[in-house]
Amino acid sequence: MKYKPLLYLLLIAGITQFTLSCKKSFLETAPKGQVLETNYYQTADQAYSGLVAAYACLGMEADNFGNNTYTDKLGSLNSAGDECYAGGGGPTDMNFWQVWNTYTLSAAVGPQADFWAIDYAGIYRANLLIEKLNGTITGLSDANKARYIAEAKFLRAYYHFELERLFKNIPLITKPLASSDWYSVTQAKPADVYTQIEKDLNDAITVLPSVILPSEYGRVSKGAAMAELGKVILYQNNTARMTEAAAWFEKVSSSGVYSLLPKYADIFSPANKFNSESVFEISHSAAQNAGWGNWPNFSGNIYVQMTGPRSYSGPIYWSGGWSFNPIIKSFATAMYGDPRYGATVANIDSIVTATNGSYVKGYQNTGYFEQKWAPLAQYVSTTGQQELNFPNDYIEIRLADVYLMEAEALVRGGGSQSTAQSYLDKVRARVGLPSIPATLDNIYNERKLELATEGHRWYDLVRTGKAATVLSFKGFKAGTHEVLPIPINELNNTKLVQNPGYN
Amino acid sequence: MKRRFHIYFLVFFISLFHVAWSQDLSVTGKVTDKSGNPLESVSVMVKGTSNGTKTDKTGAFKVKAAAGSTLVISYIGMETQLLQVQSNKPVVIQLTEKVTAMEEVVVIGYGTQKKSVVTGAISSVKAKDLEDMPVTRLEDALKGRTAGVTVASSSGQPGSQSTVMIRGITSINNFDPLYVVDGVPVAGGIDYINSSDIESIEVLKDAASAAIYGTKAASGVILITTKKGKAGVLQVNLSSYVGTQSPARKLDLLNATQYATLRNESSIAAGNGILFANPSALGAGTDWQGAIFNNSAQIQNHELSISGGNDKSTYFASFGMYSQDGIVSSSISNYKRFSIRINSAHKINKWLNFGESVAYAHTKSQGGFDPNGYFGGPLSSAVNLDPITPVVITDPSVIAQNPYANHATSILRDDKGNPYGISSIVGQEMTNPLAYAKVQNGNYGWGDKFVGNTYLEIEPVKGLKLKSNIGADLAFWGNESFTPIFFLSTTQSNLTNANFNRGMNKAFNWIWTNTASYTRSIGLHNGSVLVGSEARNNSGFGISGTYIGVPASTFGDASMNFSVPTTNTQAGGYEYQPYNISSLFARLNYDYNGKYLLTAIVRRDGSSHFGSNNVYGNFPSLSLGWIPTKEKFWPVNNVVSYLKIRAGYGVNGNDNLSAFQYVSTVGGVGAYPIGGQITTGNAPLAPANPDLKWERTTQSNIAFDAIIFKDFNLTVDVFKKTTSGMLMQIKVPGYIGAANQPWGNIASMDNNGVEVELGYRKKVGAVNLDLKGNVTYVKNKVTNIGANNYIAYANFQASSYEVSRKVVGQPVNEFYGFKPLGIFQTQADINSYVNKNGGLIQPNAKPGDFKWADVDGDGSITSGDRTYLGDPTPHWMLGFTVSAAYKNFDLKVFAQGVAGNKIFQQLRRLDITTANYQTKALGRWTGPGTSNDFPRLVDGDPNGNFSNPSSFYLEDGAYLRIKTVQLGYNLPKFLLNKAKIQNLRVYISGNNLITFTKYTGYDPEIGGSGGGWLFGIDRGIYPQARSFMAGVNLTF
Repeated sequence: MKYKPLLYLLLIAGITQFTLSCKKSFLETAPKGQVLETNYYQTADQAYSGLVAAYACLGMEADNFGNNTYTDKLGSLNSAGDECYAGGGGPTDMNFWQVWNTYTLSAAVGPQADFWAIDYAGIYRANLLIEKLNGTITGLSDANKARYIAEAKFLRAYYHFELERLFKNIPLITKPLASSDWYSVTQAKPADVYTQIEKDLNDAITVLPSVILPSEYGRVSKGAAMAELGKVILYQNNTARMTEAAAWFEKVSSSGVYSLLPKYADIFSPANKFNSESVFEISHSAAQNAGWGNWPNFSGNIYVQMTGPRSYSGPIYWSGGWSFNPIIKSFATAMYGDPRYGATVANIDSIVTATNGSYVKGYQNTGYFEQKWAPLAQYVSTTGQQELNFPNDYIEIRLADVYLMEAEALVRGGGSQSTAQSYLDKVRARVGLPSIPATLDNIYNERKLELATEGHRWYDLVRTGKAATVLSFKGFKAGTHEVLPIPINELNNTKLVQNPGYN
Repeated sequence: MKRRFHIYFLVFFISLFHVAWSQDLSVTGKVTDKSGNPLESVSVMVKGTSNGTKTDKTGAFKVKAAAGSTLVISYIGMETQLLQVQSNKPVVIQLTEKVTAMEEVVVIGYGTQKKSVVTGAISSVKAKDLEDMPVTRLEDALKGRTAGVTVASSSGQPGSQSTVMIRGITSINNFDPLYVVDGVPVAGGIDYINSSDIESIEVLKDAASAAIYGTKAASGVILITTKKGKAGVLQVNLSSYVGTQSPARKLDLLNATQYATLRNESSIAAGNGILFANPSALGAGTDWQGAIFNNSAQIQNHELSISGGNDKSTYFASFGMYSQDGIVSSSISNYKRFSIRINSAHKINKWLNFGESVAYAHTKSQGGFDPNGYFGGPLSSAVNLDPITPVVITDPSVIAQNPYANHATSILRDDKGNPYGISSIVGQEMTNPLAYAKVQNGNYGWGDKFVGNTYLEIEPVKGLKLKSNIGADLAFWGNESFTPIFFLSTTQSNLTNANFNRGMNKAFNWIWTNTASYTRSIGLHNGSVLVGSEARNNSGFGISGTYIGVPASTFGDASMNFSVPTTNTQAGGYEYQPYNISSLFARLNYDYNGKYLLTAIVRRDGSSHFGSNNVYGNFPSLSLGWIPTKEKFWPVNNVVSYLKIRAGYGVNGNDNLSAFQYVSTVGGVGAYPIGGQITTGNAPLAPANPDLKWERTTQSNIAFDAIIFKDFNLTVDVFKKTTSGMLMQIKVPGYIGAANQPWGNIASMDNNGVEVELGYRKKVGAVNLDLKGNVTYVKNKVTNIGANNYIAYANFQASSYEVSRKVVGQPVNEFYGFKPLGIFQTQADINSYVNKNGGLIQPNAKPGDFKWADVDGDGSITSGDRTYLGDPTPHWMLGFTVSAAYKNFDLKVFAQGVAGNKIFQQLRRLDITTANYQTKALGRWTGPGTSNDFPRLVDGDPNGNFSNPSSFYLEDGAYLRIKTVQLGYNLPKFLLNKAKIQNLRVYISGNNLITFTKYTGYDPEIGGSGGGWLFGIDRGIYPQARSFMAGVNLTF
């Protein structure tokens, strides 16, 4: 039996392996670079990163949740309103914007799927954090814990409000859904949604700090929550509550934290991020040095790239813009002569003539481009893909907006006319315009000029009931187009009901 | 350089296996067939040595051998004979022909079995079926050869994998079969193997035979066995072919005049102005397809192998080189492969065997564009670009204008320095494809793959074999890409920094298998038992880096040796999640007198892909067979001289899903700038599903194999395959807020079918005729999709409308959309299309628009009016081969086809209003009576004539393709003998010569890849080439 040693060797191998095969630990592996949810949310850093995840949905312009499309709220809203056309390279380029521009939206074609997915992702992350922060978190002070919860509540309220004013009939989600509940969710009454939003904002206001340190720029303050709450009440169009709305705006106005910038054009400059006028700002950054491989998680502002004149040559703008959202001539004309015109409208035709430059006229070209979001040559990133790394922030709520909302609430609620007048005057005086009476029409007109192309106009037209008239030239139909269709895929297997007119 | 390598290679192997021998007697003799005709080139070997010779044309041989040694006389197709050397008296040896195919041995997984006692549905392709066929990819070797196996090219891009499907779409999740090469499961394709290295390919089609592979075997198993050396004289084999390829078909697109005419019409219909004042002045314009197609793309393949050995050690070594240029933009579409293989087996003594096989392949490919996509790339641009823009601008006055003037340094130019034309009409991703090719030039992907195994086998007692086998599949792959500063169009440009990117990935899979088998016959009872255990592990990682602002303008000059500021370097990486499988398995084979047959298998697999609830899966199978023709009562007759009836049932599994889906894991879900710092947010990636379990496929198979009328081999299989609990990602409602979609055991599906294989072999006069044909019918039906009403699949261009759906009762991914009932010829037609309340169903329609079917009967056209339109999966598959040999000539014709499927053709980009049309558009509606199937053209398309997914886009996908026609000639032996050449065959061959189809796209053969992606959807697929080759097979 000279082969015995080998036989034994083989038998040992067999037995070893047999044992290995049966051993459970061989099959119980630990994930790499991911942490089990049950082991997470235990340290202060982990809690903070959960908070950042909830913030991250603020800046998302492209959808990471199955639709995989670029949409961007500001570009969509500007396409829908009377300030801009969709523009771009042709009548179907960025089709989601085009169909809102022409009011040929359908449940299948439109920007709604991205808005829905991104805002609900934010709600889920906020809900999850609130739930997780009930547990013990090592190294997290009570003060910070309270602040994180307050921020999460602010964000939950903000995302719900975005959905509410876009879709009206939405599910109200206040905790992470168990899989058994996934398909039993129904749309809440708008009033119930608003009640929850207000409750969350009220909770947040009591905790959030009034002043945000520079190292925390991007996180929300008490002022932001108060302004948002006033806005939420204002949007409910209940005259009886206008005084209440005005009171919240007044707290912001008189907080001493905020002041109008002396120079209107400075507000939008990337050099003046989180300036004294900024109440709630959605931050972007070029520091990601993003390439197309980062799709769709970009930290840069891609909308800026979208709005640039196409194939521009000259000293002022980036040469590779895509000519979206050209400003409608009638809107440019309405602004012409206003001191804010130059900071709002870029008359590229005259600029290229003056600077001996050139550009290629895109679809629906008017020669007028947005100046607030223009891709200025000085802010073109020198690292990463240029198109993807513009640093411009969005200012979701700024003090001038608060002043005008407060003036509106005061006038509508029968509050102090003189206070309303003083805020309208402040907004006008900053750009050297004389006082005009603080009537609702004047206030609305001031909003149109002061806040042009900042994403408020379409909502203002809808909530004031002017949309059907003002936007009829684009095909807006009353009774349907005040809200977006519920995304078609959300109706699959769920109890959700489509909005009227979109079946 | 290459030749020198060949020589070293040869010398190395000859010296390695050179064995000395002693010489005593000089034995002479003659070998004949049973009728006494002399047999030429018969191998006569002295057993245990490498000493031997071959017979000459008179059948005579002369060999030196020691007295008492044994001569091994072997010849292809004949039974091998042994002869003991006693004296140098001349001997006469008569060889008898081997009995038919039924005595062949087939590989069945962890062992072999005589084909006569196989009870499962196993198809086998042998070396001799392959060796004369110039196949460009190994999967192609299976195409049309065996019933039940569908092989569809996913694209004509050189190097791209084909879709292989065994008995229909087994699972939504993944229907790729499991490839096992010499016992090693191989991931990422099998193109590293030379076709002439293959001894046999076995396809385990039913669960009863595949159950031995349990996990991952649900979609069938393809076992590949590579050649081993044979004891005998050194044999050198060379097979080579060179050829040229061209596109078989071009799309009929509008010329410039036609294009301008139709665009004017479309613009005017929308109330806008004329776009082109004088269309006829534009002439024919640019043929973009002509600009990118290569009508003489090169293809060549050279394989050299050396084999031999003695009765102690055998070896097989080979070297291969393959190179193919694509027919579309060849400079950025090509593929090269170099491969080496060394197989050897050693009989250390009577009871101990040891062996190994090692293969290495290097591949290099260029193909930086989507071969079936409408987002740019040369093919998509050629289809969509206007025919007005010239390929090259030569007019100085145009060059002096923008965009040529203001991008003078970044536009692309031809060899003469003239700028390539930039379309001012069609934009977005569409760019001049010649300029695009220059931007991509040099960029390539590479791969280095090692697959090997080594085994030790002990036979301590006769019949008992203990075997330990360790296999490994180690793959490295990556890319090199340089993005210069360029300006292709206003939206496709890179104006600031040239970038250089390099990425590499590594994957390593090991598998360790230990088996014990015992084979014994007692009387007429023959039995064999196998037990085994196996462990597998997969790991891998990838890393890539980009240098932004590299001071180089061409790929050749780009390097990471340039230093760029650290802010301009980007890096990224990933790792595989750990993945282990451990298994135990057993098999019993039993037959009584080769007449009553039984195979029973059970396998238990544990996978780390499942949580503690469901770690293990059990996969049993049983199959039975009966050969009535062996019974005494069966009369000897020529009608049915052989019949085997077999039936089987078994279960297989599938654990193909991402790791850690049974728990919720937290990872990066986006970032937000806080205080100017990009801060990463972490959140759960996908909702957990702790109940995730194996996807199960059960399959029943009833079949018979028969020899009828002496010359016909007939096999008929009927099968029913049911896959339940299919693993797939659930598209959960957005309001849940999940970052990723969770996995679940969602759907169930049936595939029922019939396979028929018929062969005929006969010598008719001087012609040897061999005909083989097979037909498969498979019907697929979704039987359950859980709580879902339907599962949507693949969006229709820029809309949320899906192209197809999975829904209970319909075939998987059936096309779904609107149904036109014709075209409104007049306003009266529109006015008469009313609902039950008398209202117009399409109030906004205009004459020339589609009249859409109001499927849901709600009186208006809404998204609810979509319906099921057709099945993308072929129901019928057909293949046949005709081989005829006459004297030294041989002819093979191989044809293959499918029927019963539809193709959704969406070549034109709808979001580019100005995109070019196919000439079909010339038949558009232009007034009453002009067309009832192609609607009017109008910018904005208000009636959704084109922007609605509808049956307008569906075409019949049936085709029959003459895949190969080959004519070969064997040089006469008397010529070869002088040069000591055993065999020399030359041939010419044509591939894809004729395709019979009604389909209007490039190619009706549209495979999917990666689990059915885009099955049956043509977005401008890279067409397969028509090729002509000349080749030589040489053995000495």
